[in-house]
Amino acid sequence: MNFKKQIFGFMDMLRFKKLVPNRREALANGADTPLPKEYRTNILAHKLHPGYMAVELTEIRTLTPDMKEYVFKRVDENAFPFFRAGQYVSLQGKVGDSLVSRPYSIASSPREALTNELTLGIEKAGFFSDYLDSQAKVGDQFTMSEPSGEFHYESLRDKKQIVCIAGGSGITPFVSMAKSMSEGDEDYEMTLFYGARDVQHIAYKSELDALAEKGLKTVYVLSDEEAEGYEHGFVSAEIIEKYVDIKNVTFFMCGPKAMYDFVLKELEPYKLPLKAVHKDATYCSDRNVENPKTFRLTVHVRDLVYNIDAKENETLLTSMERAGINAPNKCRAGGCGYCHSKLLKGDFIVADARDGRREADRKFGFIHPCVTYPLSDMEIDVPPAY
Amino acid sequence: MERTAAKSYDAVVIGAGNGGLSAAIRVLQGGFSCLLLEKHNLPGGFATSFKRGRFEFEASLHELNDFGSPEEPGDIRILFRELGVEDKIDWIRIPEAYHLITTDKKYDCEMPFGVEAYINKMEEYCPGSRKSMTEFFELCNEVRDAQTYSSSVNGNTDSNYMKSNFPNFIKAGSYSVNEVLDALKMPKKAQDILNAYWCYLGVDCDRMSFLHYGSMVIRYITRDAWMPKMRSHEISLAMDTRIRELGGDIWYQSEAEKILTDDENKIIGVRLTDGTVIKTGHVIANCSPHLVFGKMLEEKSVTEKMIRATNARTFAGRGLTLFLGLNKSSEELGIKSHNYFIYDTADSVKQYDMMKKIETNHVQATVCLNNAYPQCSPEGTCMMYFTTMFMSDDWGSITEEDYFKAKDRIADDMINVFERETGCKIRDSIEEICLASPTTYARYCGHPEGVIYGYETADWDSLMPRMMMLKEDAELFPGLRFAGGYAMRSSGYSSAYVSGDLSGRQTVGDLKREGK
Repeated sequence: MNFKKQIFGFMDMLRFKKLVPNRREALANGADTPLPKEYRTNILAHKLHPGYMAVELTEIRTLTPDMKEYVFKRVDENAFPFFRAGQYVSLQGKVGDSLVSRPYSIASSPREALTNELTLGIEKAGFFSDYLDSQAKVGDQFTMSEPSGEFHYESLRDKKQIVCIAGGSGITPFVSMAKSMSEGDEDYEMTLFYGARDVQHIAYKSELDALAEKGLKTVYVLSDEEAEGYEHGFVSAEIIEKYVDIKNVTFFMCGPKAMYDFVLKELEPYKLPLKAVHKDATYCSDRNVENPKTFRLTVHVRDLVYNIDAKENETLLTSMERAGINAPNKCRAGGCGYCHSKLLKGDFIVADARDGRREADRKFGFIHPCVTYPLSDMEIDVPPAY
Repeated sequence: MERTAAKSYDAVVIGAGNGGLSAAIRVLQGGFSCLLLEKHNLPGGFATSFKRGRFEFEASLHELNDFGSPEEPGDIRILFRELGVEDKIDWIRIPEAYHLITTDKKYDCEMPFGVEAYINKMEEYCPGSRKSMTEFFELCNEVRDAQTYSSSVNGNTDSNYMKSNFPNFIKAGSYSVNEVLDALKMPKKAQDILNAYWCYLGVDCDRMSFLHYGSMVIRYITRDAWMPKMRSHEISLAMDTRIRELGGDIWYQSEAEKILTDDENKIIGVRLTDGTVIKTGHVIANCSPHLVFGKMLEEKSVTEKMIRATNARTFAGRGLTLFLGLNKSSEELGIKSHNYFIYDTADSVKQYDMMKKIETNHVQATVCLNNAYPQCSPEGTCMMYFTTMFMSDDWGSITEEDYFKAKDRIADDMINVFERETGCKIRDSIEEICLASPTTYARYCGHPEGVIYGYETADWDSLMPRMMMLKEDAELFPGLRFAGGYAMRSSGYSSAYVSGDLSGRQTVGDLKREGK
């Protein structure tokens, strides 16, 4: 072929010769105004996803005999990020020599976050929550992760009518979801089934009852007490059916595993698709091992090396926290991938049904320490949390 | 916490995106020490995956071009071979080139790989196009050969050799895609169908250089496209593994904040956001010159020339991708193709303009991965991702409180467009949904405005003069080279890997000249 654009081929050739001088000139003639330091989209990204936040405890309130509400404000900025109701934060504090983090669902609303208020309702049920219950006081400073997690409504996936089932302290994300609905940020219609032992173990009752005016329907289900205006027993299909059409709703559940097992069994006959039921993740605790051994765990964090003990029945993350290593973590359930680390040596086992790794992670030897237990001495490469 | 790392490095690579990963391997293969810094906790930048329920989504890769089969490898497979990662990855071949749909002219064209098959199919859709299509591919072949020659001499081409061996390359070389196709007297319909790939380069065909487009199309059509089975995360981890094998260090969750210089404006190190200082004399930046010259390089070393050269350039598309996990198979849903391009209009100039505003942009490049790799999701399900771009910073006007609703509106529109144009009803089957906006790309990769395509390769800043000025551009600041979507080869997976290859090898050259 013989390509020709202009009448004479040499004219096309000349144009080609000018490509470099043209570009050289354009570069030299760019504006001499200072380059931007900030960009709007990046500012928004930083507002929504600030990473770790410095927070201060501003208020403690007793909700039930086992549960307290903790109110925080940010001290590094003037507002918390706007989030999706249903999400959690990871709260980190120092207990003795340990650096401890736990995920807790947010009870306050996304709008309240913008006024620099974020509330957690925490049940006394473990190492860190016991510490908070007995030691934490107003004015104490903590580190908190940005709001995270996929346990929230999706208008294009979920039905307009949602059924939320709470067990015990699992009520917190639903308080946020109900508030967010009332504030016009979510467009679902919400029916809440709240299972508790007895009346005095119901948290947030006045708030939930007040939200009835804004369209929230709450059904309290007591297992250990019979009282007027309350359902009795567990949250069964029979009770749910009294209020909604099970086949035409999307379920959100937050509570103990026993509750999930019970409700899922109740729903089995309805043959609901997987997408109809969302469960909030529960965090991964110790593994049952008789006479657990203690292994040697070598941890590389950038160019630093730590040699620490790792108990067979505890996750690698817990062992690192005991040693005061600031290892990244958020969900502690194997799913979020924030603790993604490189395995260098050793054998391990992943907690049952909690292997949230990507396919290639397994192929190339990456692990999630939050759900991984050692089976031998191990060596891992872990990025710093911050 | 100010702390100086115990070890100093011959080179520090900032950013473990595709360009940074290949650059680090090249530095290490050259026998020099290298530290790769990454602000996120994963390698790859856009080349990653994420899990939602029972789905593992591909974050960005539609198809890796210029890869070819093991027997007839394309340039990228050869590069992966040289980097020592080809065999660490399981590959699958993409079945067909693309399925073009346009709303205005009602095009619905499925185009195959292979020059002959492609020309034949085009003749079916547009009778009378054969001659111009054949000439188009001849011209593209010459373009490719000329570029191969140019690479083999590191851009220092001999102009007489070029003139005698690649005259058509030179004569067509200064024109846009549309100018060249008009000169070939290609029928309008064939031009429309042929130009479908334009959104991969993000510049309309009046302003996109023919050389750039032609060299991409010929690579797609003759060497077809491939994917790693485990999503692009498999490539990124293969490279991470290779870097460790070669004795390199990688620090994740480690954001470089400053490039430090001495009194003579020579690079002496890199400082992280937490104050840690790493000593080095060479930096390869897998990020934008806007960030490097605007924020990272010590101000005393920033010259007017750098500022002017950076301000002169135009940001390319800001990305947005919708991810859907569907609880039915692609057969059940009637989704037949792997790769759809759905445009409002076949006129790329008009379309580019419509892509400036969120409200008028309905373009989507949509992939159903199961139609290339059926096992990518559990049986009875399939996975789709829909990508678009904004050609202005319209997304920057979204407020924090409206953010989630804005994402829903766009997702809703993308699903509407797909259902309307293909007739496949997918809405009721959504089991998982996720949308990455320009904000998401800004968050994870730090690119200004959530740009995913680097600088526009339009008009004066097209690929050819960039390549011819490789050496000159690098003289802007000795010791500093760029890799990734903002570098000389512009954006896209293959281009980013090649830019890292070039800058990595050139840094090795720099180090050798210093007598290290």
